[in-house]
Amino acid sequence: MSWQVFSGTLEQGLMYAIMVLGVYLTFRVLDYADLTVDGSFTLGAAIAARLIFSGQNPWLASGLAFLGGLLAGAFTGVLHTKFKITPLLSGILTMTALYSVNLRIMGRPNIPLLRLRTIFSDVAQLPFMERYGVLVLSLITVLILGHFLYLFLETEIGIALRATGDNEVMIRSQGVNTDRMKILGLSLSNGMVAFAGSYVAQNQQFADASMGIGMIIAGLASVIIGEVLIGTTTIRRTILAVIFGAVVYRVIIALVLQLGLAPTDLKLVTSIIVIIALTSPGIKKRIFTRSGSRVGKEEN
Amino acid sequence: MLSVRKILKTFNKGTINEKQALNGISLQLAAGDFVTVIGSNGAGKSTLLNSIAGDFLIDQGEIRIASYEITGWPQYKRASLVSRVFQDPMRGTAASMTIEENMVMALRRGQSRRLRRAISVKEREYFRGELRKLGLGLEDRLTNKVSLLSGGQRQALTLLMATLREPKLILLDEHTAALDPKTAEKVLDLTCRVAAENRLTTLMITHNLDHALSVGNRTIMMHEGRIILDLREGERANMTINRLFEMFEKASGSHIHNDRMILA
Repeated sequence: MSWQVFSGTLEQGLMYAIMVLGVYLTFRVLDYADLTVDGSFTLGAAIAARLIFSGQNPWLASGLAFLGGLLAGAFTGVLHTKFKITPLLSGILTMTALYSVNLRIMGRPNIPLLRLRTIFSDVAQLPFMERYGVLVLSLITVLILGHFLYLFLETEIGIALRATGDNEVMIRSQGVNTDRMKILGLSLSNGMVAFAGSYVAQNQQFADASMGIGMIIAGLASVIIGEVLIGTTTIRRTILAVIFGAVVYRVIIALVLQLGLAPTDLKLVTSIIVIIALTSPGIKKRIFTRSGSRVGKEEN
Repeated sequence: MLSVRKILKTFNKGTINEKQALNGISLQLAAGDFVTVIGSNGAGKSTLLNSIAGDFLIDQGEIRIASYEITGWPQYKRASLVSRVFQDPMRGTAASMTIEENMVMALRRGQSRRLRRAISVKEREYFRGELRKLGLGLEDRLTNKVSLLSGGQRQALTLLMATLREPKLILLDEHTAALDPKTAEKVLDLTCRVAAENRLTTLMITHNLDHALSVGNRTIMMHEGRIILDLREGERANMTINRLFEMFEKASGSHIHNDRMILA
């Protein structure tokens, strides 16, 4: 793998790591398999691309992408908690609805951002940033978000959120409105996912209505890879693990491409990675007995 | 302290599985009362406790705790008044979280939670002191995950958590039934101690007729969603396990085929 390919892979890995932080928050912390991700990733890209294309400030556009993701997540959360729709179906409903919403936002299936001002073109103008601007900005963003996520999960609200995913009966009996916690978690998660979408669109210089397809599986693969390689003993460690997992996942994808597989086969490869992770006993044990809670749930 | 008035609860209404779990039950507890609840399976004991805790809303009747009418309150709101310990040690604590995290959740029971660091140094010291009183060596394991504890340790921790922020009422649903006999005795001793120290108003379901008479100051027996026997003071002091057993058979008019009760 040439240096250029490698640094490109690293950039992508760090950008997708923002999305993976969101997937970690729902999938692991809340124990909620949230399929909204496929739609909210594109939503973030669509919002940012549309605004940038019409001449708006790219930093503002990225911030609004985050807000759009928050709303999408809250919508899924309300479907699940207020209307008692199952987690999977709530996510699928939002994801499907978002497909149309995203096309409305963009006004067409894709928007090119060539030669337009993006957050990356801004950073590239800073000294020494011409070559590594994307890498540095992505790294800083993911580290800041990861750090905030860690701090958040150690607050009173953060602890209540974690307990909601671990033992809902218990935390409700401690006076926490678990519905609210789920809506909060889903919002933050999809906010980060959409934020990642806005980064990816600005880096690849176009947004496409189908760019989010399979994002949730890529996210799961990254979370699982990170957890297996780094471990989950503490929250801090797990957050670093999933960021690392996102990068490793991109490296694996890049290697597979170098081996001569067509880019169209990538979704198949990703699914196979997740299937292997979920079925091989050693890895499975490591992931699913981590807390004991999952074991407990099976007994109930 | 607790006032339950004529409450009705039917599960699976209108289906073949319809079950009238609570049949116009009324119960008054004074502050500091420690009431043991006995009755065969399906008598409605757990349903009574769950309806007070707010797992579901009752069909008819009224529930009051202290000066609050809580009949329509959602469960999380009732948590400011009621704390509980479940039969299953797994249910009362969050396994993937540390002992101190679990304790701080209980310390904030019924309060609004904010975006500030959850555990202060002072609170950590307080937790350590409280854990030391349990005498289980947990005071040195504050940052251990609860999944590493045994069932008895978890139940003792749950009990401690239930009393950290003094509740108006504590509900114990066979909280020693899933433990081995020795641990069960220990947890029960602990229960009596903390209840006495804090003068807690307590409602405890048990299947052990000996405990039903020896623990607390009042015993009620339930059958088919009603209270069929209410023993206090002298009447309770003169009661023997055998007579209680006979009264059960007589009052309910049916034979007990629950060997758990016979063997207790």
